[in-house]
Amino acid sequence: MSTLNPTPTFKILYFASCATFTRLPFESLPAPLSLRDLFPTLEKRYPGMTKRVLESCAVTVNLEYVDLEDEEVTGKGTDGEGMVIKEGDEVALIPPVSSG
Amino acid sequence: MVIEEEHVHVELAHDPLDAKASMERVGSPKAGAIVLFAGTTRDNFANLAVKQLSYDAYPALALKTLLHIARDVKSKHSLTSISIIHRLGTVPVGEESILIAVSSPHRQAAWKAGEEALELTKEKAEIWKLEEFEGDEESVWRANRDGQMGVRVDKANLNSLKEEGSR
Repeated sequence: MSTLNPTPTFKILYFASCATFTRLPFESLPAPLSLRDLFPTLEKRYPGMTKRVLESCAVTVNLEYVDLEDEEVTGKGTDGEGMVIKEGDEVALIPPVSSG
Repeated sequence: MVIEEEHVHVELAHDPLDAKASMERVGSPKAGAIVLFAGTTRDNFANLAVKQLSYDAYPALALKTLLHIARDVKSKHSLTSISIIHRLGTVPVGEESILIAVSSPHRQAAWKAGEEALELTKEKAEIWKLEEFEGDEESVWRANRDGQMGVRVDKANLNSLKEEGSR
């Protein structure tokens, strides 16, 4: 059927060492996705990425930093699933910066 | 890409930077001092000869961060005006990659504010420097926070990275 919606997705941006690792500037991933599942999802797509780059990266959702240690964000130690990345969100991995 | 408010200017530019234009932008009859910082690209890192540098950025977020920094520094030091411009893309050695211009009634505030704006920019702005070395040495993404070389990039991957910028 032509009226079927495509699979809902969010956009993830890769910069600097992240783009080097994925060999992509950005891509679309299936939404929704719990924020706590973001790094494991990426590790599955790009084996070794956690140790090489993700551990030193911050994360933004729609231009706001999210604290990956925060229980409300990850849902760890609570009953909830924490913050969820929704369809159409723009997520970015932020490696250590080096302007100037 | 520019965000302009009254006496606050932040910009990301792909073309060579114009120091005189930055000074003129912050100049005012109320200001007795203008401090201009020009950061230029160096020809070496850790004894390796640097051929050229390229800067990648998350433009929407970097501009937002620069705007916050400019507003905060202007307010803290009661500046007359502030301008922060960073260049993106390839910057040949010896050219300016960043210009920070501040003006204030007196020189002390301008000196301090100029340095503070630079340090905050280097710490926070979502901009990344790729150093390409002479010879067979692999390119490297720098990280300001630890002064280390950062992550190496193999040659095959380099060209695809340099074609980005549509984000």
